[in-house]
Amino acid sequence: MESSDSVYGSGEVRADKVLTNSDITKLGYRTVLLQAGFNYERMQASGWLQTQLPCLEKIYKDDREGLSAAMTDNLEFINTSPHIVGFLNGLLIAMEEAHEDRSAIKGIKVALFPPIAGVGDAIFWFTLLPILAGICSSMAIEGNPVGPLLFFAVYLGLFLIRPLWARLGYNLGTKAVEMLRETSGRISKAATVLGCTVIGGLIASYVSISLVVDIPVSDTASVNLQADFLDKVFPNILSFGYVFLMYWLLKKKQVNPVVLILVTFGLAILCSFFGIL
Amino acid sequence: MEVTLGQGVALAIMAVICGIDFWLEGLYIFRPIIVATITGIILGDLVTGLVCGGVTELAFAGLTPAGGTQPPNPVLAGVMSVVIAHTTGTEAAGAMALALPFSFLMQYIILFCYSAFSVFMGKADEAARNANPNGVVRINLVCTGIVALLYGVVVFLCAFVAQDAMKSLVEAMPNWLSNGFTVAGGILPAVGFAMLLNVMFKKDYLPFLLIGFVMASFLGFSNLLPEAIIGVALALLIYTIDDARDKEIKKAIAEAKAGGWGDEEDGI
Repeated sequence: MESSDSVYGSGEVRADKVLTNSDITKLGYRTVLLQAGFNYERMQASGWLQTQLPCLEKIYKDDREGLSAAMTDNLEFINTSPHIVGFLNGLLIAMEEAHEDRSAIKGIKVALFPPIAGVGDAIFWFTLLPILAGICSSMAIEGNPVGPLLFFAVYLGLFLIRPLWARLGYNLGTKAVEMLRETSGRISKAATVLGCTVIGGLIASYVSISLVVDIPVSDTASVNLQADFLDKVFPNILSFGYVFLMYWLLKKKQVNPVVLILVTFGLAILCSFFGIL
Repeated sequence: MEVTLGQGVALAIMAVICGIDFWLEGLYIFRPIIVATITGIILGDLVTGLVCGGVTELAFAGLTPAGGTQPPNPVLAGVMSVVIAHTTGTEAAGAMALALPFSFLMQYIILFCYSAFSVFMGKADEAARNANPNGVVRINLVCTGIVALLYGVVVFLCAFVAQDAMKSLVEAMPNWLSNGFTVAGGILPAVGFAMLLNVMFKKDYLPFLLIGFVMASFLGFSNLLPEAIIGVALALLIYTIDDARDKEIKKAIAEAKAGGWGDEEDGI
Protein backbone atom coordinates (compact mmCIF):
# COMPACT_ATOMS: atom_id res chain seq x y z
CA MET A 1 0.00 0.00 0.00
CA GLU A 2 2.96 2.31 0.52
CA SER A 3 3.64 2.42 -3.21
CA SER A 4 1.18 5.24 -3.74
CA ASP A 5 3.53 8.07 -2.84
CA SER A 6 2.96 10.21 -5.90
CA VAL A 7 2.55 13.86 -5.05
CA TYR A 8 -0.71 15.61 -5.80
CA GLY A 9 -0.96 19.39 -5.87
CA SER A 10 1.74 21.57 -4.39
CA GLY A 11 2.99 21.98 -0.87
CA GLU A 12 2.20 18.44 0.22
CA VAL A 13 4.26 17.32 3.15
CA ARG A 14 3.31 13.72 3.75
CA ALA A 15 4.09 11.30 0.96
CA ASP A 16 0.91 9.31 1.53
CA LYS A 17 -1.28 12.40 1.11
CA VAL A 18 -3.22 12.18 -2.12
CA LEU A 19 -6.11 14.51 -1.27
CA THR A 20 -5.90 18.23 -1.91
CA ASN A 21 -7.68 21.09 -0.19
CA SER A 22 -10.20 21.24 -2.97
CA ASP A 23 -10.98 17.54 -2.56
CA ILE A 24 -11.97 18.20 1.04
CA THR A 25 -14.02 21.27 0.09
CA LYS A 26 -15.89 19.21 -2.49
CA LEU A 27 -16.35 16.46 0.08
CA GLY A 28 -17.97 19.02 2.38
CA TYR A 29 -20.49 20.13 -0.26
CA ARG A 30 -21.10 16.54 -1.36
CA THR A 31 -22.38 15.68 2.13
CA VAL A 32 -25.70 17.09 0.89
CA LEU A 33 -26.19 13.70 -0.81
CA LEU A 34 -26.16 11.86 2.53
CA GLN A 35 -29.86 10.96 2.36
CA ALA A 36 -30.08 10.43 -1.42
CA GLY A 37 -30.82 6.72 -1.07
CA PHE A 38 -32.54 6.69 2.33
CA ASN A 39 -34.38 3.50 3.27
CA TYR A 40 -35.41 1.65 6.41
CA GLU A 41 -32.94 -1.18 5.96
CA ARG A 42 -29.71 0.82 6.18
CA MET A 43 -30.93 4.42 6.44
CA GLN A 44 -28.31 6.75 4.92
CA ALA A 45 -25.85 4.02 3.85
CA SER A 46 -25.86 4.41 0.07
CA GLY A 47 -25.89 8.21 0.25
CA TRP A 48 -23.02 8.13 2.73
CA LEU A 49 -21.02 5.90 0.40
CA GLN A 50 -21.56 8.32 -2.46
CA THR A 51 -20.30 11.26 -0.40
CA GLN A 52 -17.08 9.37 0.33
CA LEU A 53 -16.65 7.71 -3.07
CA PRO A 54 -14.67 10.27 -5.11
CA CYS A 55 -12.06 10.53 -2.34
CA LEU A 56 -11.95 6.75 -1.94
CA GLU A 57 -11.42 6.35 -5.69
CA LYS A 58 -8.55 8.80 -5.55
CA ILE A 59 -7.00 7.07 -2.55
CA TYR A 60 -7.29 3.53 -3.93
CA LYS A 61 -6.72 4.36 -7.62
CA ASP A 62 -5.96 1.01 -9.30
CA ASP A 63 -6.32 -1.08 -6.16
CA ARG A 64 -9.74 -2.55 -6.98
CA GLU A 65 -9.73 -4.91 -4.03
CA GLY A 66 -8.98 -2.10 -1.60
CA LEU A 67 -11.73 0.04 -3.14
CA SER A 68 -14.19 -2.83 -2.98
CA ALA A 69 -13.42 -3.44 0.70
CA ALA A 70 -13.77 0.26 1.51
CA MET A 71 -17.05 0.48 -0.41
CA THR A 72 -18.45 -2.55 1.39
CA ASP A 73 -17.59 -1.07 4.80
CA ASN A 74 -19.12 2.26 3.86
CA LEU A 75 -22.39 0.59 2.90
CA GLU A 76 -23.14 -0.42 6.46
CA PHE A 77 -25.98 1.11 8.46
CA ILE A 78 -25.54 4.76 9.31
CA ASN A 79 -27.97 7.43 10.48
CA THR A 80 -26.64 10.79 11.59
CA SER A 81 -27.15 14.53 11.31
CA PRO A 82 -26.97 15.77 7.69
CA HIS A 83 -25.82 19.27 8.71
CA ILE A 84 -22.60 18.34 10.45
CA VAL A 85 -21.93 14.88 9.03
CA GLY A 86 -18.99 16.40 7.09
CA PHE A 87 -17.00 16.24 10.31
CA LEU A 88 -17.27 12.45 10.24
CA ASN A 89 -16.60 12.34 6.48
CA GLY A 90 -13.39 14.33 6.90
CA LEU A 91 -12.21 12.32 9.88
CA LEU A 92 -12.77 8.94 8.22
CA ILE A 93 -11.29 10.05 4.90
CA ALA A 94 -8.13 11.07 6.77
CA MET A 95 -7.99 7.55 8.20
CA GLU A 96 -8.61 5.99 4.76
CA GLU A 97 -5.88 8.15 3.28
CA ALA A 98 -3.44 7.01 5.96
CA HIS A 99 -4.47 3.41 5.19
CA GLU A 100 -5.42 2.72 8.76
CA ASP A 101 -6.72 -0.69 9.66
CA ARG A 102 -10.18 -1.33 8.11
CA SER A 103 -11.72 -2.47 11.39
CA ALA A 104 -10.44 0.68 13.13
CA ILE A 105 -12.10 2.88 10.49
CA LYS A 106 -15.32 0.93 10.82
CA GLY A 107 -15.19 1.06 14.61
CA ILE A 108 -14.70 4.82 14.70
CA LYS A 109 -17.57 5.33 12.28
CA VAL A 110 -19.96 3.24 14.37
CA ALA A 111 -18.76 4.91 17.56
CA LEU A 112 -19.17 8.46 16.28
CA PHE A 113 -22.28 8.64 14.15
CA PRO A 114 -24.73 8.36 17.08
CA PRO A 115 -23.24 11.22 19.17
CA ILE A 116 -22.99 13.38 16.03
CA ALA A 117 -26.67 12.63 15.36
CA GLY A 118 -27.46 13.56 18.97
CA VAL A 119 -25.63 16.88 18.83
CA GLY A 120 -27.10 17.64 15.39
CA ASP A 121 -30.69 16.90 16.43
CA ALA A 122 -30.32 18.92 19.63
CA ILE A 123 -28.92 21.93 17.80
CA PHE A 124 -30.78 21.89 14.48
CA TRP A 125 -34.19 20.32 15.10
CA PHE A 126 -34.80 21.12 18.78
CA THR A 127 -33.18 24.53 18.98
CA LEU A 128 -32.50 26.33 15.72
CA LEU A 129 -35.70 25.38 13.87
CA PRO A 130 -38.14 26.35 16.66
CA ILE A 131 -36.31 29.66 17.23
CA LEU A 132 -36.15 30.52 13.54
CA ALA A 133 -39.71 29.34 12.92
CA GLY A 134 -40.92 31.51 15.80
CA ILE A 135 -39.09 34.64 14.70
CA CYS A 136 -39.62 34.31 10.93
CA SER A 137 -43.24 33.18 11.18
CA SER A 138 -44.23 36.11 13.33
CA MET A 139 -42.90 38.38 10.56
CA ALA A 140 -44.55 36.37 7.77
CA ILE A 141 -47.94 36.41 9.53
CA GLU A 142 -47.80 40.21 9.43
CA GLY A 143 -47.23 39.95 5.67
CA ASN A 144 -43.54 40.80 5.94
CA PRO A 145 -41.44 38.97 3.30
CA VAL A 146 -38.31 39.39 5.43
CA GLY A 147 -39.56 36.37 7.42
CA PRO A 148 -39.01 33.70 4.74
CA LEU A 149 -35.93 35.53 3.40
CA LEU A 150 -34.23 35.49 6.79
CA PHE A 151 -35.18 31.82 7.21
CA PHE A 152 -33.64 30.97 3.84
CA ALA A 153 -30.51 33.04 4.52
CA VAL A 154 -29.76 31.14 7.74
CA TYR A 155 -30.06 27.72 6.11
CA LEU A 156 -28.09 28.86 3.07
CA GLY A 157 -25.35 29.95 5.46
CA LEU A 158 -25.41 26.54 7.15
CA PHE A 159 -25.07 24.90 3.75
CA LEU A 160 -22.14 27.09 2.74
CA ILE A 161 -20.14 26.23 5.88
CA ARG A 162 -20.41 22.48 5.25
CA PRO A 163 -16.80 22.29 3.95
CA LEU A 164 -15.62 23.70 7.29
CA TRP A 165 -16.93 20.63 9.11
CA ALA A 166 -15.20 18.33 6.63
CA ARG A 167 -11.94 20.24 6.99
CA LEU A 168 -12.19 20.21 10.78
CA GLY A 169 -12.69 16.44 10.83
CA TYR A 170 -9.94 15.88 8.27
CA ASN A 171 -7.39 18.00 10.12
CA LEU A 172 -8.17 16.66 13.57
CA GLY A 173 -8.12 13.05 12.38
CA THR A 174 -8.34 10.58 15.21
CA LYS A 175 -7.72 13.36 17.73
CA ALA A 176 -11.36 14.24 17.05
CA VAL A 177 -12.55 11.05 18.70
CA GLU A 178 -11.38 12.11 22.15
CA MET A 179 -12.69 15.65 21.67
CA LEU A 180 -16.13 14.49 20.60
CA ARG A 181 -16.39 11.98 23.41
CA GLU A 182 -15.56 14.70 25.92
CA THR A 183 -17.84 17.45 24.70
CA SER A 184 -20.79 15.92 22.83
CA GLY A 185 -22.78 15.20 26.00
CA ARG A 186 -22.30 18.70 27.36
CA ILE A 187 -23.12 20.38 24.03
CA SER A 188 -26.30 18.35 23.64
CA LYS A 189 -27.37 19.22 27.16
CA ALA A 190 -26.69 22.95 26.72
CA ALA A 191 -28.59 22.93 23.40
CA THR A 192 -31.52 21.17 25.08
CA VAL A 193 -31.59 23.84 27.80
CA LEU A 194 -31.81 26.50 25.10
CA GLY A 195 -34.43 24.49 23.22
CA CYS A 196 -36.63 24.01 26.31
CA THR A 197 -36.52 27.72 27.14
CA VAL A 198 -37.59 28.62 23.61
CA ILE A 199 -40.29 25.94 23.48
CA GLY A 200 -41.73 27.34 26.72
CA GLY A 201 -41.99 30.68 24.93
CA LEU A 202 -43.40 29.10 21.78
CA ILE A 203 -46.16 27.39 23.76
CA ALA A 204 -47.16 30.72 25.30
CA SER A 205 -46.97 32.61 22.01
CA TYR A 206 -48.33 30.25 19.39
CA VAL A 207 -50.72 27.73 20.89
CA SER A 208 -54.01 29.58 21.04
CA ILE A 209 -56.89 28.19 23.03
CA SER A 210 -59.45 30.83 23.86
CA LEU A 211 -62.77 30.17 25.62
CA VAL A 212 -65.71 32.14 24.26
CA VAL A 213 -68.03 31.28 27.14
CA ASP A 214 -69.81 34.23 28.82
CA ILE A 215 -71.25 33.84 32.29
CA PRO A 216 -74.09 36.29 32.98
CA VAL A 217 -73.72 38.01 36.35
CA SER A 218 -76.73 40.31 36.03
CA ASP A 219 -79.31 41.20 33.41
CA THR A 220 -76.94 43.51 31.56
CA ALA A 221 -73.40 42.43 32.47
CA SER A 222 -71.59 39.15 31.89
CA VAL A 223 -68.13 37.82 32.59
CA ASN A 224 -66.10 36.42 29.75
CA LEU A 225 -64.38 33.35 31.09
CA GLN A 226 -61.24 33.91 29.02
CA ALA A 227 -60.72 37.68 29.01
CA ASP A 228 -62.10 38.48 32.45
CA PHE A 229 -60.95 35.45 34.38
CA LEU A 230 -58.25 33.16 32.89
CA ASP A 231 -56.20 35.93 31.25
CA LYS A 232 -56.14 37.83 34.54
CA VAL A 233 -55.13 34.84 36.64
CA PHE A 234 -52.72 33.06 34.33
CA PRO A 235 -52.75 33.70 30.59
CA ASN A 236 -52.02 30.75 28.32
CA ILE A 237 -52.57 28.24 31.10
CA LEU A 238 -54.90 26.23 28.85
CA SER A 239 -52.23 26.05 26.15
CA PHE A 240 -49.64 24.85 28.64
CA GLY A 241 -52.05 22.27 30.03
CA TYR A 242 -52.97 20.98 26.60
CA VAL A 243 -49.32 20.61 25.51
CA PHE A 244 -48.59 18.60 28.63
CA LEU A 245 -51.67 16.46 28.14
CA MET A 246 -50.39 15.66 24.63
CA TYR A 247 -46.89 15.07 25.98
CA TRP A 248 -48.24 12.69 28.63
CA LEU A 249 -50.23 10.75 26.03
CA LEU A 250 -47.16 10.48 23.77
CA LYS A 251 -44.73 9.53 26.52
CA LYS A 252 -46.73 7.42 28.93
CA LYS A 253 -49.47 6.00 26.71
CA GLN A 254 -47.43 5.79 23.49
CA VAL A 255 -50.33 7.26 21.52
CA ASN A 256 -49.56 7.76 17.83
CA PRO A 257 -49.08 11.47 16.94
CA VAL A 258 -51.53 11.12 14.04
CA VAL A 259 -54.21 10.01 16.53
CA LEU A 260 -53.46 13.07 18.66
CA ILE A 261 -53.84 15.38 15.66
CA LEU A 262 -57.17 13.78 14.78
CA VAL A 263 -58.40 13.93 18.39
CA THR A 264 -57.42 17.62 18.53
CA PHE A 265 -59.52 18.20 15.41
CA GLY A 266 -62.48 16.31 16.82
CA LEU A 267 -62.31 18.24 20.10
CA ALA A 268 -61.97 21.59 18.35
CA ILE A 269 -64.97 20.94 16.11
CA LEU A 270 -67.04 19.62 19.01
CA CYS A 271 -66.20 22.65 21.17
CA SER A 272 -66.98 24.94 18.26
CA PHE A 273 -70.37 23.27 17.82
CA PHE A 274 -71.26 23.79 21.49
CA GLY A 275 -69.92 27.34 21.49
CA ILE A 276 -67.10 26.74 23.96
CA LEU A 277 -64.14 27.63 21.72
CA MET B 1 -60.03 32.44 -7.35
CA GLU B 2 -58.89 29.55 -9.46
CA VAL B 3 -55.61 27.75 -9.99
CA THR B 4 -54.90 27.82 -13.75
CA LEU B 5 -53.25 24.98 -15.63
CA GLY B 6 -50.06 27.04 -15.95
CA GLN B 7 -50.03 27.72 -12.22
CA GLY B 8 -50.67 24.03 -11.55
CA VAL B 9 -47.63 23.09 -13.64
CA ALA B 10 -45.51 25.78 -11.96
CA LEU B 11 -46.54 24.44 -8.54
CA ALA B 12 -45.61 20.92 -9.64
CA ILE B 13 -42.15 22.09 -10.75
CA MET B 14 -41.66 23.88 -7.45
CA ALA B 15 -42.76 20.69 -5.64
CA VAL B 16 -40.14 18.67 -7.53
CA ILE B 17 -37.38 21.06 -6.43
CA CYS B 18 -38.61 21.41 -2.83
CA GLY B 19 -39.29 17.66 -2.73
CA ILE B 20 -35.67 16.89 -3.59
CA ASP B 21 -34.62 19.32 -0.87
CA PHE B 22 -36.97 17.57 1.57
CA TRP B 23 -35.36 14.26 0.68
CA LEU B 24 -31.82 15.56 1.16
CA GLU B 25 -32.49 18.11 3.95
CA GLY B 26 -30.14 20.44 2.12
CA LEU B 27 -31.36 24.03 2.04
CA TYR B 28 -34.60 23.71 4.02
CA ILE B 29 -36.63 25.18 1.17
CA PHE B 30 -39.04 22.31 1.91
CA ARG B 31 -40.27 24.05 5.07
CA PRO B 32 -43.82 25.49 4.93
CA ILE B 33 -42.66 29.08 5.37
CA ILE B 34 -40.64 28.89 2.11
CA VAL B 35 -42.99 26.60 0.14
CA ALA B 36 -46.06 28.68 1.02
CA THR B 37 -44.34 31.94 0.10
CA ILE B 38 -43.31 30.60 -3.33
CA THR B 39 -46.82 29.18 -3.80
CA GLY B 40 -48.20 32.63 -3.01
CA ILE B 41 -45.91 34.19 -5.63
CA ILE B 42 -46.98 31.60 -8.24
CA LEU B 43 -50.67 32.22 -7.50
CA GLY B 44 -50.14 36.00 -7.61
CA ASP B 45 -51.11 36.34 -3.96
CA LEU B 46 -47.92 36.91 -1.98
CA VAL B 47 -49.60 38.09 1.22
CA THR B 48 -51.77 34.97 1.49
CA GLY B 49 -48.62 32.91 0.91
CA LEU B 50 -46.74 34.71 3.66
CA VAL B 51 -49.56 34.48 6.21
CA CYS B 52 -50.31 30.82 5.51
CA GLY B 53 -46.58 30.08 5.51
CA GLY B 54 -46.14 31.67 8.93
CA VAL B 55 -49.13 29.90 10.45
CA THR B 56 -48.22 26.52 8.96
CA GLU B 57 -44.52 26.80 9.85
CA LEU B 58 -45.43 27.35 13.50
CA ALA B 59 -47.72 24.34 13.55
CA PHE B 60 -44.96 22.28 11.97
CA ALA B 61 -42.07 23.63 14.07
CA GLY B 62 -42.42 20.69 16.42
CA LEU B 63 -43.29 18.10 13.80
CA THR B 64 -39.75 16.97 13.08
CA PRO B 65 -38.33 13.66 11.89
CA ALA B 66 -35.89 13.67 14.83
CA GLY B 67 -36.57 10.80 17.16
CA GLY B 68 -37.61 8.46 14.40
CA THR B 69 -41.22 9.33 13.55
CA GLN B 70 -41.90 10.74 10.11
CA PRO B 71 -44.14 13.81 10.63
CA PRO B 72 -46.96 15.01 8.35
CA ASN B 73 -45.40 16.33 5.17
CA PRO B 74 -44.33 20.01 5.32
CA VAL B 75 -44.24 20.56 1.53
CA LEU B 76 -47.86 19.54 0.94
CA ALA B 77 -48.97 21.48 4.03
CA GLY B 78 -47.28 24.61 2.66
CA VAL B 79 -48.67 24.30 -0.88
CA MET B 80 -52.19 23.25 0.02
CA SER B 81 -52.79 25.77 2.83
CA VAL B 82 -52.14 28.58 0.34
CA VAL B 83 -54.11 26.89 -2.47
CA ILE B 84 -57.10 26.40 -0.14
CA ALA B 85 -56.93 29.94 1.24
CA HIS B 86 -56.59 31.32 -2.29
CA THR B 87 -59.37 29.29 -3.95
CA THR B 88 -61.94 29.26 -1.13
CA GLY B 89 -61.17 32.40 0.85
CA THR B 90 -60.74 30.42 4.08
CA GLU B 91 -58.55 32.20 6.63
CA ALA B 92 -55.00 30.96 7.25
CA ALA B 93 -55.49 28.81 10.39
CA GLY B 94 -58.51 27.08 8.88
CA ALA B 95 -56.77 26.60 5.53
CA MET B 96 -53.80 25.03 7.29
CA ALA B 97 -56.11 22.62 9.09
CA LEU B 98 -57.90 21.73 5.84
CA ALA B 99 -54.51 21.11 4.17
CA LEU B 100 -53.59 18.43 6.70
CA PRO B 101 -55.20 15.46 4.89
CA PHE B 102 -52.94 16.21 1.89
CA SER B 103 -49.99 16.42 4.25
CA PHE B 104 -50.84 12.99 5.68
CA LEU B 105 -51.20 11.55 2.19
CA MET B 106 -47.65 12.60 1.25
CA GLN B 107 -46.34 11.42 4.61
CA TYR B 108 -47.61 7.91 3.84
CA ILE B 109 -46.17 8.01 0.32
CA ILE B 110 -42.75 8.92 1.77
CA LEU B 111 -43.02 6.15 4.38
CA PHE B 112 -43.74 3.75 1.54
CA CYS B 113 -40.61 4.95 -0.28
CA TYR B 114 -38.47 4.44 2.84
CA SER B 115 -39.60 0.81 2.96
CA ALA B 116 -39.56 0.18 -0.79
CA PHE B 117 -36.07 1.56 -1.38
CA SER B 118 -34.65 -1.17 0.86
CA VAL B 119 -34.79 -3.46 -2.19
CA PHE B 120 -31.96 -1.47 -3.79
CA MET B 121 -29.51 -2.41 -1.04
CA GLY B 122 -28.76 -5.78 -2.62
CA LYS B 123 -27.74 -4.01 -5.81
CA ALA B 124 -25.61 -1.59 -3.78
CA ASP B 125 -23.77 -4.50 -2.16
CA GLU B 126 -23.12 -5.94 -5.59
CA ALA B 127 -21.71 -2.62 -6.80
CA ALA B 128 -19.42 -2.53 -3.77
CA ARG B 129 -18.21 -6.10 -4.42
CA ASN B 130 -17.35 -5.17 -7.99
CA ALA B 131 -15.78 -1.84 -6.95
CA ASN B 132 -18.25 -0.10 -9.24
CA PRO B 133 -18.87 3.50 -8.09
CA ASN B 134 -21.42 4.20 -10.84
CA GLY B 135 -23.67 1.45 -9.55
CA VAL B 136 -24.03 3.26 -6.22
CA VAL B 137 -24.53 6.65 -7.84
CA ARG B 138 -27.26 5.18 -10.03
CA ILE B 139 -29.19 3.78 -7.04
CA ASN B 140 -29.13 7.16 -5.30
CA LEU B 141 -30.24 8.91 -8.48
CA VAL B 142 -33.14 6.50 -8.97
CA CYS B 143 -34.34 6.91 -5.35
CA THR B 144 -34.14 10.71 -5.45
CA GLY B 145 -35.73 10.76 -8.91
CA ILE B 146 -38.70 8.66 -7.84
CA VAL B 147 -39.32 10.93 -4.85
CA ALA B 148 -39.05 14.07 -7.01
CA LEU B 149 -41.52 12.68 -9.54
CA LEU B 150 -44.01 11.66 -6.84
CA TYR B 151 -43.91 15.19 -5.40
CA GLY B 152 -44.61 16.73 -8.79
CA VAL B 153 -47.53 14.41 -9.58
CA VAL B 154 -49.13 14.58 -6.12
CA VAL B 155 -48.95 18.38 -5.92
CA PHE B 156 -50.36 18.76 -9.44
CA LEU B 157 -53.28 16.45 -8.65
CA CYS B 158 -54.03 18.06 -5.28
CA ALA B 159 -53.63 21.71 -6.29
CA PHE B 160 -55.04 21.71 -9.82
CA VAL B 161 -57.27 18.67 -10.40
CA ALA B 162 -58.94 18.52 -6.98
CA GLN B 163 -59.65 22.23 -6.56
CA ASP B 164 -63.32 22.23 -7.62
CA ALA B 165 -64.22 19.34 -5.36
CA MET B 166 -62.44 21.08 -2.52
CA LYS B 167 -64.20 24.35 -3.16
CA SER B 168 -67.66 22.81 -3.05
CA LEU B 169 -66.69 20.94 0.11
CA VAL B 170 -65.58 24.11 1.87
CA GLU B 171 -68.66 26.02 0.69
CA ALA B 172 -70.94 23.26 1.96
CA MET B 173 -69.46 23.45 5.46
CA PRO B 174 -71.67 25.00 8.14
CA ASN B 175 -70.27 27.88 10.16
CA TRP B 176 -69.52 25.89 13.29
CA LEU B 177 -67.51 23.39 11.27
CA SER B 178 -65.32 25.94 9.53
CA ASN B 179 -64.86 27.73 12.86
CA GLY B 180 -63.91 24.36 14.32
CA PHE B 181 -61.17 24.00 11.71
CA THR B 182 -59.83 27.45 12.55
CA VAL B 183 -59.83 26.60 16.28
CA ALA B 184 -58.06 23.32 15.51
CA GLY B 185 -55.44 25.24 13.52
CA GLY B 186 -54.75 27.36 16.58
CA ILE B 187 -54.37 24.39 18.92
CA LEU B 188 -52.43 22.21 16.51
CA PRO B 189 -48.95 23.59 17.35
CA ALA B 190 -49.51 22.02 20.81
CA VAL B 191 -49.18 18.53 19.29
CA GLY B 192 -45.95 19.56 17.56
CA PHE B 193 -44.42 21.04 20.70
CA ALA B 194 -45.48 17.93 22.66
CA MET B 195 -43.68 15.80 20.05
CA LEU B 196 -40.54 17.90 20.48
CA LEU B 197 -40.76 17.57 24.25
CA ASN B 198 -41.29 13.83 23.85
CA VAL B 199 -37.80 13.42 22.40
CA MET B 200 -35.90 16.08 24.36
CA PHE B 201 -37.64 16.71 27.67
CA LYS B 202 -36.65 15.34 31.07
CA LYS B 203 -37.68 16.51 34.53
CA ASP B 204 -34.31 18.25 34.87
CA TYR B 205 -35.29 20.63 32.08
CA LEU B 206 -38.61 21.73 33.64
CA PRO B 207 -37.14 24.92 35.16
CA PHE B 208 -36.06 26.14 31.71
CA LEU B 209 -39.41 25.33 30.12
CA LEU B 210 -41.17 27.25 32.92
CA ILE B 211 -38.83 30.24 32.61
CA GLY B 212 -39.51 30.42 28.88
CA PHE B 213 -43.24 29.98 29.28
CA VAL B 214 -43.75 32.47 32.09
CA MET B 215 -41.58 35.11 30.42
CA ALA B 216 -43.48 34.91 27.15
CA SER B 217 -46.83 34.89 28.98
CA PHE B 218 -46.25 37.95 31.13
CA LEU B 219 -43.72 40.10 29.27
CA GLY B 220 -45.20 41.07 25.93
CA PHE B 221 -42.38 41.00 23.41
CA SER B 222 -43.02 41.22 19.71
CA ASN B 223 -40.82 38.28 18.69
CA LEU B 224 -38.96 35.42 20.30
CA LEU B 225 -35.45 36.82 20.02
CA PRO B 226 -35.20 37.92 23.69
CA GLU B 227 -36.44 34.46 24.63
CA ALA B 228 -33.69 32.88 22.54
CA ILE B 229 -31.02 35.12 24.05
CA ILE B 230 -32.08 34.23 27.60
CA GLY B 231 -32.02 30.59 26.48
CA VAL B 232 -28.44 31.03 25.23
CA ALA B 233 -27.47 32.61 28.56
CA LEU B 234 -28.93 29.68 30.49
CA ALA B 235 -27.27 27.18 28.14
CA LEU B 236 -23.86 28.83 28.62
CA LEU B 237 -24.36 28.81 32.36
CA ILE B 238 -25.15 25.09 32.39
CA TYR B 239 -22.26 24.32 30.05
CA THR B 240 -19.81 26.20 32.26
CA ILE B 241 -21.04 24.49 35.42
CA ASP B 242 -20.82 21.03 33.78
CA ASP B 243 -17.39 21.81 32.39
CA ALA B 244 -16.09 22.80 35.82
CA ARG B 245 -17.62 19.70 37.40
CA ASP B 246 -16.11 17.38 34.77
CA LYS B 247 -12.69 18.93 35.36
CA GLU B 248 -13.05 18.40 39.12
CA ILE B 249 -13.96 14.77 38.60
CA LYS B 250 -11.04 14.24 36.25
CA LYS B 251 -8.67 15.81 38.73
CA ALA B 252 -10.03 13.68 41.56
CA ILE B 253 -9.66 10.52 39.46
CA ALA B 254 -6.12 11.47 38.49
CA GLU B 255 -5.21 12.09 42.12
CA ALA B 256 -6.77 8.84 43.24
CA LYS B 257 -4.88 6.97 40.52
CA ALA B 258 -1.60 8.63 41.47
CA GLY B 259 -2.28 7.70 45.07
CA GLY B 260 -3.12 4.12 44.09
CA TRP B 261 0.10 3.67 42.13
CA GLY B 262 2.02 5.17 45.03
CA ASP B 263 0.66 2.47 47.32
CA GLU B 264 1.55 -0.25 44.89
CA GLU B 265 5.09 1.03 44.61
CA ASP B 266 5.32 0.96 48.37
CA GLY B 267 4.12 -2.61 48.30
CA ILE B 268 6.73 -3.62 45.77
